[in-house]
Amino acid sequence: MKILLMGHPNVGKSVFFNRLTGANVIESNYSGTTVDYTCGCMSLDGKEVEVVDVPGTFSLDPKDKAEEVAVAMLEEAKDTKDAYVICVVDSSKLERGLYLAMQIIEEGYSVIIALNMDDVAEDKNIEIDNQKLEQILGVPVVSTIAIENIGISNVISRLKDAKPVDVEDIAVRGAGAA
Amino acid sequence: MKLSPDERWNLIDSIADQVVTYGKYRHTLKDAIGELTVKPMTGIPIAIAVLYGFWSVFGSFAGTLCTDGFFVKLFDGYWLPWLQVVFPGEGSWLYSILIDAGGMTNGEFILSDNCFEAFGVLTSGLFVAIGVVLPAIVIFYLMLTLLEDIGYMPRLAVLIDTVLHRIGLHGYAIVPTILSLGCNVPAVTATRILETRKQRFIMMTLLAIFIPCGAQLGIMEEVIPDLIGYVLLYLVIGYFIFGFILNKIVPGRSPEILIDVPPYQKPMMANVRRKLWMRVSSFFKVAVPFVLLGCVVVNVLYLAGFIQWLGDILAPVFVGWFGVPKETAGPLVAAFLRKDLAVAQLSVIEMTQYQMLSAVVLVSIYFPCVATFAMMLKEGWKELIGSVAVLAVVVFLYGGIIHLIGKLIGVA
Repeated sequence: MKILLMGHPNVGKSVFFNRLTGANVIESNYSGTTVDYTCGCMSLDGKEVEVVDVPGTFSLDPKDKAEEVAVAMLEEAKDTKDAYVICVVDSSKLERGLYLAMQIIEEGYSVIIALNMDDVAEDKNIEIDNQKLEQILGVPVVSTIAIENIGISNVISRLKDAKPVDVEDIAVRGAGAA
Repeated sequence: MKLSPDERWNLIDSIADQVVTYGKYRHTLKDAIGELTVKPMTGIPIAIAVLYGFWSVFGSFAGTLCTDGFFVKLFDGYWLPWLQVVFPGEGSWLYSILIDAGGMTNGEFILSDNCFEAFGVLTSGLFVAIGVVLPAIVIFYLMLTLLEDIGYMPRLAVLIDTVLHRIGLHGYAIVPTILSLGCNVPAVTATRILETRKQRFIMMTLLAIFIPCGAQLGIMEEVIPDLIGYVLLYLVIGYFIFGFILNKIVPGRSPEILIDVPPYQKPMMANVRRKLWMRVSSFFKVAVPFVLLGCVVVNVLYLAGFIQWLGDILAPVFVGWFGVPKETAGPLVAAFLRKDLAVAQLSVIEMTQYQMLSAVVLVSIYFPCVATFAMMLKEGWKELIGSVAVLAVVVFLYGGIIHLIGKLIGVA
């Protein structure tokens, strides 16, 4: 089993990685801190799981070398049975984050969405209806504040609910109420 | 099924409409500080203050407090004299390499009286690594980590964007540039955040040539405190002049960027501690072996007469073109292994102030240290060859120009 941490630059993927694996990769408050991938291990139900900290990318159409690395990592995971993508999204910039998440879902990966930096969104008075989002997307959605270790265990416990989703279904559900 | 970008954005808009509610936006203190530090009118004075503060703390903590206040006394007062006595075989090869090469005065063998002159592996080698470089690196990375975790770096990037566009880069190039002031090795990897090959090449070349690492800064603070300002001035000017030229001659694009400026954050102490430890330890894994190896190599080459021979051959270039004594050949060999070591070595050679200034600038801009070299090779051999070619031209030209300036103002 393999877990990829993906998302925009500076949304906290490396923080997630360090909390999950107990490893040490550099975390900073600016984009582009991670330019190469890092692998680590965590144990889940007594099994060893590989966790990959992927460099930040805005989309699956790479613009720089760090993003190329990111896309290549995702491609490589295609061959792994049991690959999950934790898509880390900045809660205060949901739309942008969803764009990448949708692209990854369209590629057929099992995705779980971590709405990170919940505190920042709260500061900005932005509220997200997680249940509704989860219902529309059909993938687990969990709020987190990774830097304070809040919500990370929820993400892990909901991994089992992640499965490939047909984007046509999302389109139907997403357009429904609008 | 896959969506087109337009379809995807439309779908996301429709989803966001259903799940996100925007409350009234509160203008917080964080926002206010954020704006003050990014608007040019207030941001530039603040940036200057921050960088000046950075530099003052660096100099006073590493140079004055740790090195002069503690390590110099420890190494020169106790460690060196003790080793000189207990280590057997004074004057032998092994003694010269490990402890003290000493000097001949009136046909008599005289031991050195400080750790800069001794140049043994166990004396100068350890002194440079632990007494000078360790405090410099620790304080540098501590302050860098704080700036990073607070979220100041992207603001600095915004402020300096216009200037860096002149040399084919953009504001974000400030990240590899500042990282490079700690150590060029991780900075080479950090150039990956730049979009095009042209930008990456310019950045890598400039940092390999013009940016002194933390170890070198630390030792310069220690041995040439009066000249370090001029050395840095020459390097900064060179960075921009040659950046400007490279931007004109290297083919490729330098796109605009959109920078994401994150909100300020309170740094988490656990993260700062861990990051500091990782950076300092990975620095030392690279640095210490090379400092010690550098001492061995240089001593052996001295004893074998190679350095004197090289100095004689290069004398016309050194004396005539660069205006520095031919003895600087030795430090230039050492500079390939470790620049901090080379500066330490320069400091004990007899020369005028201006010659010292020229020699230190030469050591800085000449070949990157071997660890950086290896890192650049990893990023692509074509770029490496290109960088080295640029470097050769720069060293020759800029070295000559510095000599010429010295002549014009009448100090060389």
